[in-house]
Order: sequence, then C-alpha cells, then structure tokens
Amino acid sequence: MPSTSPPQTQTKKKRRERTRNLLPFWLILPTVLVLLAIQVYPAIYTIWLSLHERQPAGWEYVGVNNFTRLFNMGIFAESAGHTVVFLVGYTSLTLVLGFIIALLLNRKLKLSGLYVTLLFIPWIIADIIVGIVFRLLVVPDYGLLSGILQNPAIFPPNGISVLTAARPPSWVGGFPFPPAAAMVYLIMASAWRALPFITLLLLAAMQTVSTEVVESSRMDGANGWQVVRHIMIPLMLPTLVVALFSLTLGGMNGVGMVFSLTGGGPGSATEVLSYLLYVLGWSQLNFGRAAALALLIAVINWILILGTLRVTRVEERTH
Amino acid sequence: MFGISRRQWNTWLVNLALVVICFFALIPVATTVLISFKGERDIIRKPPNFFPCDTPERAFDPAACRWSVEGYQRVLSPKPSEGGLLPFALTGNIVRIYIPNSFLYAISTALIVVFLAGMSGYAFSRYRFRGRSALLFAILAITGVPLLTNLLALYQMGVTIRRAQLPFYDDRLFLIAVYTGFFLPLSVWIAKGFFDAIPRELEEAAVIDGCSPFSALLRISMPLALPGLMAIFLLTFVNVWNEFIAGYLLIARNELKPAMFGLYEFLGQNIINLQVIAAACILIALPIVILFVFARRSFFAAMVEGAIKG
Repeated sequence: MPSTSPPQTQTKKKRRERTRNLLPFWLILPTVLVLLAIQVYPAIYTIWLSLHERQPAGWEYVGVNNFTRLFNMGIFAESAGHTVVFLVGYTSLTLVLGFIIALLLNRKLKLSGLYVTLLFIPWIIADIIVGIVFRLLVVPDYGLLSGILQNPAIFPPNGISVLTAARPPSWVGGFPFPPAAAMVYLIMASAWRALPFITLLLLAAMQTVSTEVVESSRMDGANGWQVVRHIMIPLMLPTLVVALFSLTLGGMNGVGMVFSLTGGGPGSATEVLSYLLYVLGWSQLNFGRAAALALLIAVINWILILGTLRVTRVEERTH
Repeated sequence: MFGISRRQWNTWLVNLALVVICFFALIPVATTVLISFKGERDIIRKPPNFFPCDTPERAFDPAACRWSVEGYQRVLSPKPSEGGLLPFALTGNIVRIYIPNSFLYAISTALIVVFLAGMSGYAFSRYRFRGRSALLFAILAITGVPLLTNLLALYQMGVTIRRAQLPFYDDRLFLIAVYTGFFLPLSVWIAKGFFDAIPRELEEAAVIDGCSPFSALLRISMPLALPGLMAIFLLTFVNVWNEFIAGYLLIARNELKPAMFGLYEFLGQNIINLQVIAAACILIALPIVILFVFARRSFFAAMVEGAIKG
C-alpha cells in the first residue's frame, strides 16, 4: 500500500497545478464572451450592413453605393459642418473653463471638498435631463431666460429667440458659421455638463507638476501667466491632449442633448452627424446609409481612441 | 492692508471666485426646482418672472408667494386606493412603469458587471499568462468605443432574436446584455486597479495554509476589494440610469422602456406645462444626485482608477 502513494500525490499535484494555470482563463472567459457578442460582433456587422440595402425580399449587396449616396445628400455636408462648429466650440470652451477652475482649485483650501462636490453635480445628471433643463429656460415666451433674451431693448433689433432663430447668412461658402443661436446654446449646455470631469482630469495632472519648479521660476521673476504658459501647459500637454480627445469623442457621439434640447432644429441648424445617424436609421428607415455613416463615425472614433492610447503610453501599464 | 497679508487676500479672492462658479454651475438646477414649484397661472405669464411672488403693489412679496405642487401631482397622479400599504397609489406612468424599469435595468446590469469585472480584474491583476497584455490593451481600447456606432447592428440583432421567439426571452434581457457589454470594459480596469492595491502576500499566506486559490480569492481578496466593487456598482448604476438612446431604440414595447424614455415622451406631451416637465426631471434625477452626494468618495475613487489612470 505505501508504495502506491507517491505517484498518486504526484498526479494530484499535477492536476492541481493545471487547474491553477487555467483559473485566470476561466475568470476572464465570461468577460471576453460578453465583449465579443456586444462590442466586436456588432462592429463587424455594421461593416456588413453598410455594404447592403434592405429590400422587401431581404438584404441585397450594393457595394459602396450607400457611401456615395450618403455623400451626395445635402444634409450630410451640412451636418458635418454643424459637427465641426459644435466640436470646436465645445472642446475649446470646456478646456479653457476647466483649466481655469482647476487652477483655482489647485491649492490648499478649507472648502475644496465642498466645491468639488457641488461642481460635480452637473456631471451626474443625465444628458437628456440637462437638455430639458436648459430647454425650459429658453422656451419661447415662457422660459425664464426668454424674458431677457427676447427683450428688444436688451438685444436689439428684435431680441433673440434661442429655439426658433434661424442661422445667420454664412461667411464662407456653405459652411454653417456663424452658427444659429440654438447651436451656441447647445454648446453651452454640453460644456456645462462636461466641465466637472475635465476639471478633475486637469486638476489631477496639475497636482503632478512639482511645486519646486513653479516656485523656482517664480523666484526668477516669472509672473502667473508665464508660469502657466511655459511650465504648466508643456508639462500637462499629454493630459490636455487626452482631455481634448475624450471631449471630441463624447461630443461626436452624444445624441441625448440634441434630442431633448433642440431636436435638431430650428430647421436643421443643430443637426449634427450623430443625430443624422438616428434620423437616417430610425426616422427614414434607411439602414444601409445609416450604417455607412456609423462606420464613418466609428473610424474617426478609432483614430481618437488609438491617439489617446498612444499619448498615455498605455503599453507600459499593461505589464 | 488692514493687517491681512497678500497671501490671505489671494485665498479670499480664490474662494470668492469658486463660490461664484459654483453658483453658476448650479443655476440651471435651481431654476428647474423653482419652475417645478410654480402653478400653471405663473408658468404661462408673459413676460415670465423668476419668483411667483409679485403682487399688484410690489414686485416681490415673500408673503404672497404662490408655490404649488401641481407639477408633481400631475407626474405622480395619486389616486385613493384601498387594501394597499398606503392609502393612495401613484398612477403616473413615470412612477408606475418607467422608474421601476430603470431600477431593474440599473441594478441587474450593475450586479452582473461587478461580478464579471471582479473576476477578470482579479485575473489580470494576479496572474501573468500568454496574451495578457494584448487582452488588457484591447479592453482599454474598447472602453473608448461609444454606444452610438454599434446601435444599428445591435438593433438588427435584437430584431433577429425577437423573431426567434425564444422561451423566457424578452427585450429586457437583450438590453441588460448590451448595457453589460458597454459598461464592463471600464469596470475591468477599475477592478484591476483596486486588486493591484491589495498585497498579494495575504493570499499567498492563505494558500500556504491550505486554502485553494479560488477560496483565497473569495475569503481574502474579495472582502478587501469590497469598496472598489462598490464603486463599480455605483458607477454602472448611474451610467445605466442615465442612458437614453439604447433604452429607447432596443426595446420594442413602450411599457418596458426606462425612465429616460418616459421623460422624453413626457416632453412631447407637455409642451407648455413647464412645471410638469420640471417636476418629472427632478423626480428622475433626484435618486442619482442623492446617491452621488452621499457616496461621492466612491465615485471619485472609481474615476481616478478608471478614467484618470486609465
């Protein structure tokens, strides 16, 4: 009997070793399966959809027709222009204000916990609610701000009705600049919601800038602006780029605010590409063209994502 | 100057600036609360006035304020009921249908995400295996992918599955799966970060004392990782609660749609009744704001772990 015992424990040990080696595999498998089903498969399916068109009998292969038809739609170029105007306004407004607020918070203050909590409340509110909240303020005639904005004595000649004022004549070709009042308001509402997150992101980066560098440059006679311009901004550049990319990504794909604040209007003055995707797919039931647009947006998204990963040098942290 | 140093002056000015910024940050919230407590008569006035407190003689008279809960009444539409726990029942669609739906989606998604992210975050933190870096990189890349571009394909998948008429299946399962897929990648990174912070010597000691690796995970690491898992739960809950477009498009029957859809529908039904819309917004946002104010440390910890480091 004792002679059979050693090999038995050996196989047991081996088996235990093997289950131990396979444990991480089993732990990760469910996550990988979910991501394959909900993220990877739909992405590939979108490519397939963009090359097909729905017919009564089923799906028909149409090659790049969906893309050419999409590009030939007048509303596509217009929406692309609106998206550019929106993104430039939204990212610059949010970054500048976020930087200033982070600069103010970047010191020892007794109340900084309270400030951060209060400032963060907009971030926790759903985009569709933020859209409604801002809409309530400018509802024609009855909104609390409409009383001021629509007053011709304050805003000559006729006052501004945010939700109904048409876009002024374009300065350059068909490019939608200057934007409609509704677009400016949409940018403000979006920036209001994104500010807390960007502020915290920039504040975290600001706190890694060593105080010694700042102090010594102060001693050498640099003023506040020079410290910001020549020390803080260069040292925070990676974070600023990450913030810019994440704002662009969110602004490019956010649709709830447009839904509840302007509904794309007045006319099509706030119809951005993400909203056009909804209109093509679910209002006009034109899935092929919508898929072509989705693919286009996805390509831009991936450029932004890979850019972010490059800037943050994420490979170093995956080890 | 007055015995106050320049540095103290600066601190005062910074505090003043921050108070002003907080004030502006909260104005839209405050005005919504204000509107929600107005009556119809004060809502449809031209030009609008901020406070419903004016009298023919004075512009503002605190004694004459006409506050009203009409907006809330019309959202909740309480009706007397017999035999229930309460003497009345709330029959408004938002409280009767849409908010419970949102609770269902948010809680089930958050539980699944915590479970899956806990397992895989632990594996990524503790084991070195082939393909680990590539997989982590892929998950981080997917974290950035927004819902919008996949929505057409997901919609088609939903239609196909619905046609198959599987037993026990309805759109709710699909929506929960979609939410899980979208909020999982970030949570995996957050979980990995939290597990990285727990010294692995603790588990090794337990294994040497005869504990199996799996029960070491359950008995030693999980309790220590609990604050992190809690943060993931809260973040996912809020993300699902606030999501609009997927809940709107991927569910066919209106009575299964979440609160954000209910609100959107409400907006179309009450174009002039601003007090009703404002009250609905407050009722839907309030649970989340309260959750945030009480658990803000948890939210910030998750954000630092996931968004700022990651």
